[in-house]
Amino acid sequence: MLWLAVHPPWLSLEAFAATLPADQRQRPLALLADHRVQAVNAAAAAAGVQPGLKRATALALAPGLQFGQADAARDAQALQALVHAALAFTPAVALDGSTVLLEVASCLRYFGGADALLARLRQALQPLGHRVQIASAPTALGAALLARWRDDLATGPHRDDLAALQRLLDEAPVWLLGPGREHWEALQGMGLRQLSDLLRLPRAGLARRFGEDLLDELDRARGTRPDPRIWLEAPERFDARLELAMRADHADQVLHAAALLLAPLVAWAQARQSRVQAFVLQMQHEPRHRAEVVTPPATELRVELAEPAADIAHLQALLRERLARVQLAAPTLELRLHCREVVRQPPPNAELFPTRHSERAGLVRLLERLRARLGDERVLQLQPVADHRPERACRAVPVADVAGASPAAAAPPAAAGGLPWPRPVWLLPRPLPLPDRQAMPWFEGRPLQLLAGPERIETGWWDGGLATRDYFIAQAADGSLLWVYRARLPVADAAEPLWFLQGRFG
Amino acid sequence: MAASLPLFADPAFAHPAPPAPEPVSCEPVQLHPALWRAHQLGRQRDGTVASGFAELDAELPGGGWPARALTELLLPHPGIGELRLLAPALAAVQQGGRSLMWFDPPAVPCGWTLAALGLDLRQLVIVQARDGLQPRARGRLPAAADVLWALEQALKSGHVGAVLAWLPPGVRPESLRRLQLAAQAHDGPAFLLREAAALARPRVAPLRLALAPAGPARPDELALRIVKRRGPPLAGTLRLALAPVLSTPARARAGRLAAVPAPVAAAPVAADHG
Repeated sequence: MLWLAVHPPWLSLEAFAATLPADQRQRPLALLADHRVQAVNAAAAAAGVQPGLKRATALALAPGLQFGQADAARDAQALQALVHAALAFTPAVALDGSTVLLEVASCLRYFGGADALLARLRQALQPLGHRVQIASAPTALGAALLARWRDDLATGPHRDDLAALQRLLDEAPVWLLGPGREHWEALQGMGLRQLSDLLRLPRAGLARRFGEDLLDELDRARGTRPDPRIWLEAPERFDARLELAMRADHADQVLHAAALLLAPLVAWAQARQSRVQAFVLQMQHEPRHRAEVVTPPATELRVELAEPAADIAHLQALLRERLARVQLAAPTLELRLHCREVVRQPPPNAELFPTRHSERAGLVRLLERLRARLGDERVLQLQPVADHRPERACRAVPVADVAGASPAAAAPPAAAGGLPWPRPVWLLPRPLPLPDRQAMPWFEGRPLQLLAGPERIETGWWDGGLATRDYFIAQAADGSLLWVYRARLPVADAAEPLWFLQGRFG
Repeated sequence: MAASLPLFADPAFAHPAPPAPEPVSCEPVQLHPALWRAHQLGRQRDGTVASGFAELDAELPGGGWPARALTELLLPHPGIGELRLLAPALAAVQQGGRSLMWFDPPAVPCGWTLAALGLDLRQLVIVQARDGLQPRARGRLPAAADVLWALEQALKSGHVGAVLAWLPPGVRPESLRRLQLAAQAHDGPAFLLREAAALARPRVAPLRLALAPAGPARPDELALRIVKRRGPPLAGTLRLALAPVLSTPARARAGRLAAVPAPVAAAPVAADHG
């Protein structure tokens, strides 16, 4: 067995500070639980603030100290993200307190050895933004104790050798063990500083004084007693919430915070060996107590991906474009991210040289980005329609609709080159009436020369869009070719224009 | 150079034929591919796409539309045959399995005509970014911001085969310079179709062409002037015969009509045949 233990010593503080602006993170910070300091950052520790102090004492030591409330749910969510990141490496992941344990003996070969695996693990944990201490050992609890103790125990002789681990643990301080702080102080008072001191005492007396748990833990860490664990699993759905330290008035302020939720999302997707298809970002608004303004409790933003992805940078880019188009109805206090649509299939192979397939994937991503910013209705594809009326012969439809249709449906007939009459490329959005003098249409102050025609189009009596027209190809004064038509119905009103310009041959 | 060679070609050393050192050529093209003499056509290092018109290819550096660079086409108005000019090159790009992207075309193009010109509509994406009318959330940005952004994304991604963009008038030179930089990642031709008024102002695009109809006597032809290219300026005007819209009798009729002065058009039009 080879266990890796990942211990985030500053987890709760980092989870709280993540939403703060960068300059505030450097100032003294402390987390409060029950009016007592629970955790402090380096700046506060330098001022002498320690866990366990009362709020007033801490403030006296560091007047500029900023407090946050400890939140067990927030910590659990941050720890969950670490578990998910670990689950991408091995299915055997367990929790011991706030230490994540990975059993990796079975997957060493796949990752190319313990050192390569460690490097990959650190890389995978990095986007989550927690400083972690990693240790490895042949026993689960041994690894956990080492990770909590020091930061330099990821490799060494104790990794594979139980005897070396036991020697190392002998030097470990006693506060690593035990159910609580009172025990540590009692142990200290008895002059027991290292675990080896404990081993020298009679076991029966120790068990009577401190309970069976202490001895049990010691034995499991040293590998003299079995240590079964229950493996964790990633849930079916991803739900995370993030309380903002400061309310966000604009969508771009939301983006920074939302990016903090994307890293756990990607970790979860990777733990489930799947890729994200769509997710929903919910922005919970500050309730307003004015009767005249009714604000919705939350704004929902659904981001769908054309191609499922598990890439933070890509998700972030999409979210940025979508958020740029959103106007918040009210200041946002809290974000929620939900995801239940994932695709469980292996990711496409990476390619060394660009191929047609990778170019296709790149194009899909480009279109996704364009659609996210400009809107679906602005990224179009042409679809020819079998209709003689030129204004109905071609439709521009959003790209997404075409992707769903069968490719054959969008294909123009092969014999397109055999159009009996040429059609202009550019059709005016609506036909432009032309003045008519000396029985000739005039355009820009000159008469048009009719070069070819007429081509008679008479259709559409069944759907209300009756068109009865004679089309001509005409030449403007500068020589460019126009497509004009003459309305053929006996015109009721003589003032009605007779000639229309409908297109230009581009 | 030939005169200086005998100094070194001493017969004593010349036997048995020594591997003569490569004669150092003063041709700039051999020093660096980006150099050329002023009287020569520049070479296009990054590949070109043949335009499909032999007489035009002969005048373009590298023998075709340049890849990884912007090409500006200046037209008095849309609808003078610009797509028939570009269609052979665009169709060739699509033949290679790559897509076209058009930005802000002046109108929705007719799919049937494009198909008749040899384009595959499934590999054509139209991005309609311009709408000056509807107020948008980003209303404070200039109107062209969206299309310039989209165009830059497409060029930068390098996944689009060829790009056509109809830019609104008055695009700032720094935006174009930015696009030119982005175009270096774009392995294919990139055409900017702009108003003819832009002709007078110098621009960053290494190849600029002014297009105009060839006159009433020659429908289905395009008069093309190369305003800027890597190489000597081209004085004359190229006349390219486009894929015909008109039948032969109709074209002859155009020639005949151009010969007789139109009722108002006082300016005589040079008609060499008809």
